[in-house]
Amino acid sequence: MSEVHEVALQGVQGAVKARLNRKEGGHGSGSEAEEDNRVEKSGSEEEPEGEDLNSEIEEDDYDEEEDEEDEGPRSKKKKKKHDRFGGFIIDEAEVDDEPEEEDEWEEGVQEIGIVSNEMDELGPTAREIEGRRRGNVLWDSQKEDEIEEYLRRKYADESIAARHFGDGGEDMSDEITQHTLLPSVKDPNLWMIRCRMGEEKNTALLLMRKFIAFQNTETPLQIKSVISPETVKGYIYIEAFKHAHIKQAIEGVSSLRGGYWKQKLVPIKEMTDVLRVVKVQTGLRPKQWVRLKRGIYKDDIAQVDYVDLAQNQVHLKLLPRIDYTRLRGALRNTQSQDNDLKRKKGRRPPAKPFDSQAIREIGGEVTSDGDFLIFEGNRYSRKGFLYKNFTMSAIVADGVKPTLSELEKFEESPEGVDIEVATTKDDAVNHTFSTGDNVEVCSGELINLQGKVISVDGNMVLMMPKHEELTEPLEFQANELQKYFRLGDHVKVLAGRYEGDTGLIVRVEENRIVLFSDLTMHELEVLPRDLQLCTDMATGVDSLGQFQYGDLVQIDTQKVGVIVRLERENFHVLSMEGKVIMCKPQALHKKKENRNNYALDSENNTIQRRDMVNVIDGMHNGRKGEVKHIYRNYVFLYSNQHLEHGGIFVCKTRHIQLAGGNKGADSLALTNTGFMSPRISSPMHPSGGARGGGRGGRGGGGGMGGFRRDRELIGKTIRISKGPFKGNIGIVKDATAQTARVELHTSCKTISVDRGRIDIVGAPARDGSWTSYRTPSHGGAQTPQYSLGNKTPLYEGNRTPHYGGGQTPLQDGGKTPTWDPSATPGRPDDDNYLEDDSFTKSNAPFTPNTMYGSDRSSYSPYDSTPSPTGYNSSSSAYAASASPASGVHSYGSPSPTSYSPRTPGSGSGGSSPYTPSNAGHDVLNNTEWYTTNIEVRVKENHGDSGLAGQIGTITGISGSTCVLFLPMEDRCVNVECEMLVPVRPSQGDQVKVIMGDYREAVGELLTIDQVEGVVKLAGDMDTVPDVQMIHLDFLAKMQRGAPLDG
Amino acid sequence: MFYHISLEHDILLHPRYFGPNLYDIVKQKLYTEVEGTCTGKYGFVIAVTNIDNIGAGLIQPGQGFVVYPVKYKAIVFRPFKGEVVDAVVTQVNKVGMFAEIGPLSCFISHHSIPADMEHCPNVQPACYKSKDEDVVIAVDDVIRCKIVGTRDQRSTLKYLNTTQG
Repeated sequence: MSEVHEVALQGVQGAVKARLNRKEGGHGSGSEAEEDNRVEKSGSEEEPEGEDLNSEIEEDDYDEEEDEEDEGPRSKKKKKKHDRFGGFIIDEAEVDDEPEEEDEWEEGVQEIGIVSNEMDELGPTAREIEGRRRGNVLWDSQKEDEIEEYLRRKYADESIAARHFGDGGEDMSDEITQHTLLPSVKDPNLWMIRCRMGEEKNTALLLMRKFIAFQNTETPLQIKSVISPETVKGYIYIEAFKHAHIKQAIEGVSSLRGGYWKQKLVPIKEMTDVLRVVKVQTGLRPKQWVRLKRGIYKDDIAQVDYVDLAQNQVHLKLLPRIDYTRLRGALRNTQSQDNDLKRKKGRRPPAKPFDSQAIREIGGEVTSDGDFLIFEGNRYSRKGFLYKNFTMSAIVADGVKPTLSELEKFEESPEGVDIEVATTKDDAVNHTFSTGDNVEVCSGELINLQGKVISVDGNMVLMMPKHEELTEPLEFQANELQKYFRLGDHVKVLAGRYEGDTGLIVRVEENRIVLFSDLTMHELEVLPRDLQLCTDMATGVDSLGQFQYGDLVQIDTQKVGVIVRLERENFHVLSMEGKVIMCKPQALHKKKENRNNYALDSENNTIQRRDMVNVIDGMHNGRKGEVKHIYRNYVFLYSNQHLEHGGIFVCKTRHIQLAGGNKGADSLALTNTGFMSPRISSPMHPSGGARGGGRGGRGGGGGMGGFRRDRELIGKTIRISKGPFKGNIGIVKDATAQTARVELHTSCKTISVDRGRIDIVGAPARDGSWTSYRTPSHGGAQTPQYSLGNKTPLYEGNRTPHYGGGQTPLQDGGKTPTWDPSATPGRPDDDNYLEDDSFTKSNAPFTPNTMYGSDRSSYSPYDSTPSPTGYNSSSSAYAASASPASGVHSYGSPSPTSYSPRTPGSGSGGSSPYTPSNAGHDVLNNTEWYTTNIEVRVKENHGDSGLAGQIGTITGISGSTCVLFLPMEDRCVNVECEMLVPVRPSQGDQVKVIMGDYREAVGELLTIDQVEGVVKLAGDMDTVPDVQMIHLDFLAKMQRGAPLDG
Repeated sequence: MFYHISLEHDILLHPRYFGPNLYDIVKQKLYTEVEGTCTGKYGFVIAVTNIDNIGAGLIQPGQGFVVYPVKYKAIVFRPFKGEVVDAVVTQVNKVGMFAEIGPLSCFISHHSIPADMEHCPNVQPACYKSKDEDVVIAVDDVIRCKIVGTRDQRSTLKYLNTTQG
């Protein structure tokens, strides 16, 4: 509600209240007071407001008279009056209506009369007297109990309601109480009366005065209230019980003359709507362009200076049209005035900036008021613009577009941008609100109210306020809202330089938000309106057209660089010299990169993409990073510790060193030895290298021979060129002459494809046959990082004997399903897993190797079923010890230590006449089976013949020698470990597990089942199952009397 | 904040492990697969305390792999917005500092560091100092900070308020 409106109502209410107070003071009846609250007949004699208004009116009249004296013709007087009152009274831009003038005057006179009457009438009014009498009657006539009854009835309702709705909660009762306040048939009716436009408020005030004036007369006005809502034009509302009362009240009120014959009754249901506050949506904003509708400035362009909603006025800035030919002031004579009249009809003066010099020349008087010049009541800026108030109705705001020449006249080029924006806002939806945004009201009564956007419809935004008392969504114009963000919000930039970037807000200021970009680790400064809350991480910023964040691009023929930042129109490219260059996308070419591009680091290790390297020289010395790109002898590295350029920096290859070095001297070995297994040359096995290598190579060759056709394709990355899977890329898992089994990259699926339908993509594997086998299959089947693992000797442990094994009858058995796991794609998974094992919570302190071995042996068909090989049948002892052991170690174990070129698998399988026991123990040589408290026998070939064959107990181990206690000689000797073999336990012995899952566990050997012993293990039931089948080779007889707990 | 909660995880097991130690391997695998991971909902899984139940394994058709639904209890660390935590500074630079709250790395923008503290890149080690030099924050110092925002997967962001130790 506007102020004026409230004044109008308060004027009446104030009067009522004043009277009420007096009445209550008179006899203190609460019930009466309530009755009287209905703006009955207000009987306040001395209304201060009334006084003020009167005096104002008198003054007005006086002015008018003065005008009359000054200027004879009536028409002129009127015009003059408008000029004079320009500042106070709404300037209708030269609307001429003669009769009104007289009415106003009459009103004034009437009112003066009324007021003077009123002054005379002091003392109690008839109403008051009557009211008092009625009250007294009640008190006097009724007995105490009756009064009590009356009061009880009067207030009981409330308690009933409270009792009734008490349980229903506050909402319910609130609604009910609200409902009771609504008008009913018993209440006075509301009539809508046509009123002269623009005088609604004045009329309301006038009626109030009339009411006050008449209340002590014979015929007081019987209306209850007058309402003039801000938004209703041309009507006022009057509340009264009877139509006749209205008629009586509006009689003689000139501004209501149009409505005298016809009044419209407002239906009861719509009565509340009359007082509903509707926000006026003028849409007028400062700096907006408007055109005038009427008067001398008709169709002129004007710029809104400010908007005064309450007064329904706009303050405009426009070019004045002053007639400089008309003489003013002292120079004026009657002749010229006549000319003025004629001239006025013919043309209007041109619009041009105010020229005070010219005015003075025609006799006009120019005064100054601050920065403004005042001439004939109008204010002109120093630049010559006229600043003047106009009513809203006198201007057109919609679709106004100033022409270029008009804009030039205003000469406001810097503002031009703003203006442009302001005008376009009207046409298109020009805001970035979206559902879920946090917004804040930035203008109007609800300023600073915060809320969440529920829906957006064009320029209207529906939001749910965050206020305990506002539970319903409110609708706002988009320009009344602004976004607000809090520290820590994760946002996305919608527009501007950083469009598409996301980040976390680290600082919020008025109109400026600092956010920390997720991607580039930069700080960005953004306007709040360009931001939007977003939950997802920035995926957006990183691509523009064909380029992505972090791509290697060709800057010119000699230079490449990496995109370190994408902005809307250009890239920041970190060139190989380490400089950041700004580039347009058009100026760049995407650099095609070979996946297998590699370079040599300072120590001649091969480095590839995704390798972790340490920088050991140069300006980035001390950093470490991941290789992102390799170009000639430059590498682009990424480090999350590095802040500049999104963590990317460039180094020379000779300044870096491969981290971890588990690739060892790969490259050298490869170049030297062709397809020798790289593990041979691994530092772990310097001695075994040559021999094993030869064997491996030979074996490999043999193996290859049988499978050549298939092998060529297996492991290759291919693209399917035809059929339903056309375009898919996959890895060949198996191949025959006609079909290939292809594991697709995209979906976890292996399909058979006709070989005619596949094309090999990418370069062939970079070296020997083993790579072609392993790299793609393992690398592809898992995440790429495991490609590192592929190069460890682990795999070779599987490969070499596999091929080599092809030569031996024993290994032929290896083609049974038992063998497959090691060659199937499932394999990498296991290795990966086993690598992990080393740091898992493992209760038993086994090494991956031993665990694996035991694991194998315990369920391998080799062990549990009689082997089909001749070895097994010919010598059960041999089979029991040698074959499973060799099988386990050569194929199953991922540990480099377990594999030796001298493994019995190949060794015994070949033809060497080892004794069975030795073959078995040979295996043991390669594992750390030594432990204390077990009985061992010194080998026969021990240098000291006295010791050879003796049985003793290991009491301690130091390095590669064991301290052996010889009970027969009752002394301790030091014996090299490899000279010892554990004593095989027999049924009923105390045993200690020396290899496998339960290494170090102790127990009792219950029975022997071929090659396995059933052991009842002692110890914690949770960690060790109590009865376990363990291979006899993994058991050692314990020293008698040793404690069972190991 | 730390919680001890029940979680579930499916273990995919290669057929080669089918054997007497199968459940041990499932457990092992659970530890490796679960501990140290981070999810948006539960935060970091610090340690598996108890394996409640290993459900019946389901063989995946065509693969031979077996999926074991495992129910376990674990201690998780879940950072919340507004939580005040102690952190160890790991890196100091001009845009702010990086710190670690256990497994969680966080960034503290210089906007969030009290205004009177300035970055001194020339001092060794680089640090943030207040004007009167009575508060110095350098690498390895313990700071107390309030989390103002978290990102799924790792890193959280920041907000500092002082205290050293």
